[in-house]
Amino acid sequence: MKRRDFFKKLGVAAAVAATVTPTMSFAKSKPVSKNHITIAASIDAVTGGKKPKTSSKVKLKVPEIAENGAVVPVTVTVDSPMTDSDYVKAIHIFASKNSNARAIDVNLTPANGKAMFSTRIKLGGTQEVVALVALSNGEFLIASQSVKVTIGGCG
Amino acid sequence: MDKRKSLIKIKPKKFKNGEVVKVSFMVMHPMATGMSKDKKTKKIIPAKYINSVKFVYNGQEITNMTVWATLSTNPVFTTYMKINGKGKLTVTYTDNTGEVHEKTKKIKPKG
Repeated sequence: MKRRDFFKKLGVAAAVAATVTPTMSFAKSKPVSKNHITIAASIDAVTGGKKPKTSSKVKLKVPEIAENGAVVPVTVTVDSPMTDSDYVKAIHIFASKNSNARAIDVNLTPANGKAMFSTRIKLGGTQEVVALVALSNGEFLIASQSVKVTIGGCG
Repeated sequence: MDKRKSLIKIKPKKFKNGEVVKVSFMVMHPMATGMSKDKKTKKIIPAKYINSVKFVYNGQEITNMTVWATLSTNPVFTTYMKINGKGKLTVTYTDNTGEVHEKTKKIKPKG
């Protein structure tokens, strides 16, 4: 086949492969208590069952080791033009093993000019922080990062 | 309205129309999850946390957030906004006990 067709096919295959895979450790997480909704279920609740894709456009910044689990800085930046026809609609942040996995949903508009959100969250122990991004075209992107917590932040 | 200490910070301090600036809202609020005990009384500290935040710039809601108690005490909310005229930015939050708080900052672009 022609070279450009080969690369086109490769690109499609790569896009299909880069979804939430079983190797993402939070994908198999079990409830930690009877009220705990697994993070996978929380993500499904947001996407309506649609599978989010990993993408280099999403930059999730959290410390690898958090000395104080009560104040863990989290910054999510998404490479997006933030125009009326192409913008980030929402950034959702989750903590995979907190008894409540939801941290915040940030609904953005093109008036933000740049897709970024930063805050500090409590982490009860070592776990993954997950950023789920909703784009204006209906797609979902995802990034996750493990944080080692030496002193748990939930009191 | 309550008397909580809060602050809106814009970076850089001097900006022109069309620029995209960083904006932070910070407030002294307990963000109590309702799952921890007072060490002296041994009683559960009731949940008291901000559950919703809105950023309104010259009458237009540019950002809104649904918040859970997962956020740290004295929370910080930082994002960006595109400068589009003189006026004001108002940040309003509500918490799970019905508390409402509003903070306004004047926006004065230079040129």
